[in-house]
Parts: sequence; structure tokens; C-alpha cells
Amino acid sequence: MSDFLHWLTAVQGIAVRQSSSFFKNPALVLPSLLFPMLFFAAFAGGLSDLNRIPGFDYTPGYTTFQYVFVLFQSSMFGGIFIGFAVARDFENGFARRLMIATPRRSAIMCGYGLAALVRSAVTIIFVTIVALVAGINVLGSPGQIVLLYVLALTSNILGSLWALGIAFRFQTLSVTPLMQIPFFILLFLAPVYVPIELLSGWIRHVADVNPVTFLLEGGRALMAGTTGPIVTAWLVVLIGGIVLGIWSLTGLRAAEKR
Amino acid sequence: MGAIEVRGLVREFKKGPRAVDNIDLTVAEGEIYGFLGPNGAGKSTTVLMLTTLLPPTAGTATVAGFDIVKQGPQVRASIGAALQEAALDRFLTGREHIKLQGSLHGMKGADLRQRGNDLLERVGLTDAADRKVGGYSGGMKRRLDLALALLHRPRVLFLDEPTTGLDPQSRSALWDEVARLSREDGVTVFLTTQYLEEADALANRVGIIDHGTIVVEGTPDELKAEVGRSSVEIEPHDAARLADLERALAPFGEPMVTRGTRASIRLNEGVGDVAAIVRALDAQGIVVHQLRLREPTLDDVFLEKTGRSLEGSGDNDEDETPSA
Ligand SMILES: Nc1ncnc2c1ncn2[C@@H]1O[C@H](COP(=O)(O)OP(=O)(O)O)[C@@H](O)[C@H]1O
Ligand SMILES: [Mg+2]
Repeated sequence: MSDFLHWLTAVQGIAVRQSSSFFKNPALVLPSLLFPMLFFAAFAGGLSDLNRIPGFDYTPGYTTFQYVFVLFQSSMFGGIFIGFAVARDFENGFARRLMIATPRRSAIMCGYGLAALVRSAVTIIFVTIVALVAGINVLGSPGQIVLLYVLALTSNILGSLWALGIAFRFQTLSVTPLMQIPFFILLFLAPVYVPIELLSGWIRHVADVNPVTFLLEGGRALMAGTTGPIVTAWLVVLIGGIVLGIWSLTGLRAAEKR
Repeated sequence: MGAIEVRGLVREFKKGPRAVDNIDLTVAEGEIYGFLGPNGAGKSTTVLMLTTLLPPTAGTATVAGFDIVKQGPQVRASIGAALQEAALDRFLTGREHIKLQGSLHGMKGADLRQRGNDLLERVGLTDAADRKVGGYSGGMKRRLDLALALLHRPRVLFLDEPTTGLDPQSRSALWDEVARLSREDGVTVFLTTQYLEEADALANRVGIIDHGTIVVEGTPDELKAEVGRSSVEIEPHDAARLADLERALAPFGEPMVTRGTRASIRLNEGVGDVAAIVRALDAQGIVVHQLRLREPTLDDVFLEKTGRSLEGSGDNDEDETPSA
């Protein structure tokens, strides 16, 4: 077997193990499905009167507007939660099995990442079905919708890389807040409830430069079939991917040196 | 070149002792090397370095011909390891562990299935293979760990205290398996243990480690020969004749400290003298109540080299154990 095929087999094996551990454990699966639903129901349902406020001009409507937020949020957090699993594996020693048996250890990083992607894809499918029932309006072309989901899944990878970098470095569950908090802050300093034009003051200034803003606004534009900061959104995931990829890989190297 | 070559290996922990302090050792291809030492001696730290889990502070080592620092991937492809704490996921079944382990080594499909089934059979886990590891006993976990370590047919096998905490049956089953691996498959085995009998029964060569340094190395017989000869301890039927007994024994070797009702000597000629001793006592009319022949043990070796007894010695109780 060539080195690359071997590497791929290892990635797949790690992802399969991680996914089967996860999906067999209702205590993990249910929250991963219910939390996004909770957000969606609370925002889209509770705030749907925002539809009528002056200046809210998102054609597909408020439910759809919120759906895109929940899509990115659940995708990113699906990535971040993989850091919990890795930290647990380091704490109870299981990670040693992976470290000792995997010739090319980057397969460990990618295997966990792949598991996070699979898990987020399941969440996204679930949320989307519920959203379709709740009546979201898909106005973008099929090509734009594909781009939207690719963008959402790519932002999952950003979340994974960030959390993996932390898990590899600290190897303990006690640092899980460090995995979540920065993303929480970024997400909620973006235009979550209303379009960016309706934000004002310091939060507007922050939102203007917040990378997550471009993801949300770009995603919403793709959903509505209109123009928006789509190219910027792709730049965000590209640059973010490179930076966080280095963060994660150097974390893995640090883990090898402990 | 040996299967394992270690030169001047050192590992210092930031807030700790020099866990491994400049060790040298060579393990030949196909050999079983017993790394014997009390708790905290530095055995696991050595294994972690040789299996590329921990970088050395200084020194070099090759395993299967590959440098442990510069050629990590090649080392990992050549070795199997069962660490002191078996790294298992209690939510996965035995068979799922096999699948994962196989994929880490780039194995898949029918080859992996066949090999996995063979090994599960060999370690007696066929019936438990589809149960979650969380419900396995300690012995079953060890056996699964061994099967996993052997899956990709490694040339060098590391076993860190493989029988600690096992019941006697499981222990001897594991000894048989390790001996078979070395004898039939030519696998090189680096085995750490706190048990003298284990090193004695299993290892072709033994290195005794204490406080991070190797205090003595050799075959079990060489080591024992070095500390001394067999001894015999005799208890007369009539305690009043102890002095006569001691006199009668004197020609056969050096008298040793006699406790209470027994006399002991270290035999000059070895076990061959026993018949002559019995005849001599018979001639003197000394009735023997009990006669015990004692071969030197690795504990005697440890005692001689460190001034402590290995049994019960370790981090927590550095005191000499009373030789009761
Ligand atoms: N991660 C670590 N950090 C600090 N000290 C350690 C660490 N691991 C082991 N030690 C210390 O190094 C010494 C050797 O430990 P170890 O190799 O586990 O011994 P053994 O396996 O022979 O029982 C002990 O004093 C132990 O406390
Ligand atoms: Mg140990």
C-alpha cells in the first residue's frame, strides 16, 4: 500500500471510530441535534415580528434569515465539539494508541476533522428538514445552494482546526471553554438577529470587521439568490483555514513532544 | 545490528527526577529482553521513548534499524506495543478496536478480517469480540491489547508490565504466548516487569534498572551465577543437635546466618553435594526434619547490586524489606 493510501485508511479508521462512538451515545447525539433546533425555534419563532420592522428587507423572510445563522452556528460548533472528544482521548490515554500506531500522525488530525464534518452534516440535514417544514424560502439557484452548504461545511473545518489545536496542546477537558468562547464571541458579535445595516454603535463597528459577518451575510445572499460579500466569505474560510490549519498542526507537533 | 540499540538515553521531566539516566542496551533480533525494576525505576519512560511517544532529553536509540527521533513513522510501522495502561475505548467492541488498529496500520478488507479473527481466537476473545470493552475484565483487556499490538505483524514488540494485576492462569497463558512469538515468529520482545519470576521464566536476557540506571545486565543464569551459588538449609528433628549439624555441614561450604532451629550453608560444589550431605548426616545420626535447597534468585542479584530487595521495593517504600 502506498504511503498516501495508508494515510487515507488511517484517516478513515479514526473517523469511523469517532463517529461510531458518537452516534451510539444518545447523551452526545441528542444535544447536537436539539441545541440548533432550540436556537432556530427561539430566534425564528420568537423574533419573527422583526419581519415587519422598517429596514428589514431580506426577501426570503425572517425564518430563512435565522436558518442561515443556525446553519453556520451548528456547523462551527460541530467542529468545536470534536475538540472535546480529542481532549477526552488524551485524558484517558486512548490517544496514545493512535499516536503509537499511526506512522503519519497528520492522519489523526484529519480523521478527527472528518468525524466532525460527518457529524455536522447530520445536524445540518436534520435542521434543514425542520426548517423546510417550518417554511424557509430557498430563492438561490441550485449552484448557489450548493455553494452555501460547502461554505457552511468549510466553516465546520475552521471550528475543528481551532479546537484540535487546543486539545493537542493542553490534552485536558478542563480547557474546553477555551475552545468555545472565542467562537461564541465572534458569532454573537456578528449580525445574528438583524441585517448588518440595522446595527449601530460599537457593535456595528465590530460587526463590520468580524469575519463571521462575511460568512453569515455571504450565506444569506446565496440563500436569497442576491449579491453579497460572497467572495469575502470564501476568503475568510481560505485564510482562516490556512491560519487555523497551522495552529492545529503545530498543536499536533507539540503533542508529540510532551 | 540489534533490533533495539540504545546509547546514552536520558529523559528528564520538567518538574521531576531524571527518570531515565544515561542507559545503554542492545537487544538482538528475536530475543526476549526483560527490563526488570521496581516501581518508578524508569521502565515505562524508557518504553515511551523507544515507541516514539516521548522524545528523549539526550542520547540516541534505534528500533528495527530506525532512529526513534528522526524516523518516527518507520519505527511506528515496525513495532507493536501494549503499554502499562491499556489504551482502550470502553464504548467500542473488541472487533471495532481491531478495525481501528488495522486502519491505523493501513490494513483493510479480507486480510484485516482474517488476521483479526485469528488473533482474537489466539487470545481467547472470539466470543467476547462483539461486546463493548467496558464490560471486559482486566485480563481480557490485556489480551485484547496484545492482539492489537500484534495485528500488523510487528518485528519488535514492547510489553510494559503485561502481567501486573493478572491472575496466575492469565499470567502463564501470556508467558506462553510471548515465548511462542519469539520462538516461532522471531519477534523481538522488550518486556518490562517488576516480577523476578517473570524475567527469569521468559527473558533471554535481563537488564535490571533502578533509579533510571541499568545496574546489571546479562542472562538470568549469568546474573545468578555472579551473586553466588546454591544454598541448602536444614532443620534437624532434634533442635538440640543444631551445633552438631553445623559442624557436619562445614566441609561442604561456607556457613550462613542460622536462624533459630535451622542451619544453612552456601554450597561449594553446587547441588551435586546434597547426596553427600545427606550421607554425612546419616553417619552422624542426625535426623533431618526438613531440607530446603535454594537457588540464587534475581532478587539476590538485585539485593547485591542495590542493597535493597526488589520485592516490595519502589517509589513508596524504599526501605529494605525484612528478609523474613
Ligand atoms: N510525565 C511525568 N512527569 C514527571 N515525572 C514523571 C512522569 N512520568 C514519570 N515520571 C517519574 O519518572 C520516574 C520513572 O517513572 P516510570 O518510567 O513510570 O517508572 P516505572 O515504569 O519503572 O514504574 C518516576 O519517578 C516517575 O514519578
Ligand atoms: Mg511503569
